[in-house]
Amino acid sequence: MLARRYIYRVIGLLVLLLFVAFFGVPLLWLLLAPTKTDYQLAHQAPLAFGSLGTFIHTFNRVINYQGGLMLTWLKNSAIYSGGGTALALLAAIPAGYGLALTQFIGRRTLLAVTLVVMIMPATALVMPLFLEASAVNLVGTAWAVILPFAFFPFGVYLAYIYFSSTIPKDLLAAARIDGAGEWGVFLHVALPLARPIVALVAFFAFVGDWTNYYLPFVMTYTNSEYPVTVGLQILIGSAPIFSPTASGYAGSEIYRPDLAMATLIGALPILIIFLFAQRTLVKGMLAGATKG
Amino acid sequence: MAVSDERISARRRRRAGGQRGGLPAGTSRTAGYFFVAIYVVLLLALGVAPAVYAIALALSTSGGVGVSHFVDTFNFFEFLPAFEHIAEFEGIWLASQTVFVVLLALMVHTLKRRVSTAFRLIFYLPGAMAGSASAIIWLFMFTPSGSPFAFILHGLHYQVLSNTVQPSNLPIVFAIMAFFTGAGGWIVIMYGALNNIPDELIEAAEIDGSSALQTAVRIKIPLIRKWIVYMLVLSFAAGSQLFVEPQILGVATNGQVPAQWSPNQLAYYLAFQQDSFNNAAAVSVDLLVIGLLVAVLLVWRGRLFEVE
Amino acid sequence: MATVTFKGASRIYPRAKNPAVNELNLEIRDGEFIVLVGPSGCGKTTSLRMLAGLEPVDAGDIFIDERSVVRLPPRERDIAMVFQNYALYPHMDVAGNLGFALKIAKVKKSEIKTRVAEAAKILDLEDYLDRKPGQLSGGQRQRVAMGRAIVRQPRVFLMDEPLSNLDAKLRVATRSEIAALQRRLGVTTVYVTHDQVEAMTMGDRVAVMKDGVLQQVDVPSVLYDSPVNAFVAGFIGSPAMNLVEGTVGSEGVAIGSTVVAVPRALKDTAGTGKVTVGLRPESLELAGEGAGIPAVVNLVEELGAEAYIYARLAHHVDQATFAATPDFIVRVNPKSAPKSGSAVELHVKPDSMLLFDADSGARITAA
Ligand SMILES: Nc1ncnc2c1ncn2[C@@H]1O[C@H](COP(=O)(O)OP(=O)(O)OP(=O)(O)O)[C@@H](O)[C@H]1O
Ligand SMILES: [Mg+2]
Repeated sequence: MLARRYIYRVIGLLVLLLFVAFFGVPLLWLLLAPTKTDYQLAHQAPLAFGSLGTFIHTFNRVINYQGGLMLTWLKNSAIYSGGGTALALLAAIPAGYGLALTQFIGRRTLLAVTLVVMIMPATALVMPLFLEASAVNLVGTAWAVILPFAFFPFGVYLAYIYFSSTIPKDLLAAARIDGAGEWGVFLHVALPLARPIVALVAFFAFVGDWTNYYLPFVMTYTNSEYPVTVGLQILIGSAPIFSPTASGYAGSEIYRPDLAMATLIGALPILIIFLFAQRTLVKGMLAGATKG
Repeated sequence: MAVSDERISARRRRRAGGQRGGLPAGTSRTAGYFFVAIYVVLLLALGVAPAVYAIALALSTSGGVGVSHFVDTFNFFEFLPAFEHIAEFEGIWLASQTVFVVLLALMVHTLKRRVSTAFRLIFYLPGAMAGSASAIIWLFMFTPSGSPFAFILHGLHYQVLSNTVQPSNLPIVFAIMAFFTGAGGWIVIMYGALNNIPDELIEAAEIDGSSALQTAVRIKIPLIRKWIVYMLVLSFAAGSQLFVEPQILGVATNGQVPAQWSPNQLAYYLAFQQDSFNNAAAVSVDLLVIGLLVAVLLVWRGRLFEVE
Repeated sequence: MATVTFKGASRIYPRAKNPAVNELNLEIRDGEFIVLVGPSGCGKTTSLRMLAGLEPVDAGDIFIDERSVVRLPPRERDIAMVFQNYALYPHMDVAGNLGFALKIAKVKKSEIKTRVAEAAKILDLEDYLDRKPGQLSGGQRQRVAMGRAIVRQPRVFLMDEPLSNLDAKLRVATRSEIAALQRRLGVTTVYVTHDQVEAMTMGDRVAVMKDGVLQQVDVPSVLYDSPVNAFVAGFIGSPAMNLVEGTVGSEGVAIGSTVVAVPRALKDTAGTGKVTVGLRPESLELAGEGAGIPAVVNLVEELGAEAYIYARLAHHVDQATFAATPDFIVRVNPKSAPKSGSAVELHVKPDSMLLFDADSGARITAA
């Protein structure tokens, strides 16, 4: 009896460790790859450590690639995601509040439409969005990416759940009796209580925007407009190892450690956000547990 | 238990409030519009308009309104394979993700809090690599020379990348990429949901004679069922849009992965390489309809989103 | 059906200074209804959970019948438990909740059905079998929790404050129902409550705990009439016993400046010096001038058939301890209850006074 329980525990632990390897090893590899030269990468043990000097050298190579293209891409990603997230919050938080705690004709319809749009495969709309954007001459500007990012029905849904499950209507009624107007009630009562949901929506919006590939891929044309995600693909295209036909200018070839480094740099902002956001994520998502 | 009680009574209260004539003192009927205004504008311009536009494009033919674009695209030799690919990918991914996420969450939940925190962090961090980053990392992981998983690849007699990403493997390859970035967040959420189950309930089951395994199957899983369905719905929607992974594999293998592997890629190809926006719209509408049907089915069968 | 024996059972929570339960010795007879009672945090729940197997036993032993159970997991102890918040499975309907344990035990479906129906009939739950717990009232949920225990036909019932979530009226009604049911089924029952009225009305015997230590276990009337110490005396009884400082002299016990006679035998063991005097509200009566302890009435509580006055003893009025000294509670005839604010004198009925050691609180009895 006891022995059997012991065996179960051991098997369980082994399974867990197996998955730790699955999730952890690629990340570890990504950290270690830039410490090695391309030759070392091919000939040393995959998880061997090269040298810090090489790491710094690789970093400089990537940052200076074609006159700082990487920085341009990062800047673009920041503009697109930052702008998209800011607008998404501006739209979603009041909308969630309005849907949850005010009454107006068409409220339930709007809620239903939001749910449908939320689970709709959004990329199916990218092509018509592109046509729409080109009709109003936005293609080639940052707005062509930012505006679609600003439309974030999932955020509206999360805010709706949050407001309807955690803020008692009586509290708002009390504020109204105290003389606050509708805007005042939202601004001074609901919003201060909504910090967790603002953080959660911002998290999902920013991460989703930063890692989005298809929309900027369609909406942007030139190296100077690409965000990091699309830029990475350009890098692969100039890596002789994957694209033997890559037309590298002398010295502008991309090697494997460079590619790993670029991937790392591109994901770093999200990685940092992730490290700090785990708690918010769970709390915010589960706030809806009492409802949705 | 406590949760569901609160939920019920909250719902009752709300309903009662509604019957009393609805509005709390001083609420104006127009304030609501004001709060949703920005969102509604975005919804119309960026959600409804493109959808309507896509449908209009797909249905408008040289002779007026018709389904010829649907028929034409259906007859493309890339069309059915693209949808088969995505179906196979979704099947593998959703099944394995559901099983492993629930299993890992349950297992992590039995560990001491500190230990479990470390495990959860490791599972969850790859989420930061979503999109092209994950595709690039796995490009390396799937290249037999230099991959930390080389021993597995060699065991399968794969010598070069193109062996690993041979056409029949692609659904699994993309499922692994998606699982790598997607599972951790859900494990963390399921873990939180498991934590929300009152200890008393688990103890009651224990006293009722239930073993750890029986408690997991009969008590814990049913109580997080809602979250499992939720995960399925959102994952399905995300998976049906597969684009960046095959795109990058295509670039990295010099076209061994076709540029029309997924329906989304096909639509892109039709629109921007073939300049046939109508056909592209038809494929997009197909995708939209299938995506909505499945999602609505899951939502409805899973009794999710009880909107008041 | 079974006996339960705690033998020096202790539980020390990790990082806790004092044991939550300290060397508990308690023998529970077959079919007995025993109530664990005591103030919040005294270790009642912990004792119950130790018996259930939900909490390890750090020292000592616990037996069900002749068998030590401390090594057995809960499911091998053949016990059923009613939790304070009922712990009903929210995703199962009432029938599912009632039958869960039987299903786990692989009892035949037809038999589960009969036994669930039986329990539902006893508890008046027949109309609710296909409802989820969320759709039941508090009282109905409580009955489902009871039902879940009785379908098991276990050797021991454990109940942890099962009535605390009910409103006052329902609590009183359910109290007698549970007691009657237990007597009918004859299953040994350990019942935890912090409400001494519940304890006194329900238990065959009542065990009073304080700070993890068992103070006294006996039938209700003995607890009331012969508490072993000032704590039990003050805890049992409603309204509570009045405890006041007194000094034993040659004449008797002096409370303030009034000397109250004490039986000779008792006075002999008490010696001389300070004691704690215990007086039940019904041990006092209003007396004429000069015949009792002077006091001022603060409040009169009229309950219809009887009335209580809350009075402050005259010698307490000016003391620095004023705020800390509770009012004296006296039962009086409602017809002749004094007005609040009036001065009265309280007479102690003969032989009704209890004395406790001023330091240890232990009861002083006649030799
Ligand atoms: N899990 C725990 N970890 C540490 N200390 C605990 C734990 N549970 C209870 N205690 C402590 O043990 C003591 C006894 O607790 P217990 O729950 O048994 O009290 P109780 O008599 O049931 O009180 P109540 O009437 O409030 O339910 C308390 O001091 C409490 O703080
Ligand atoms: Mg307790």
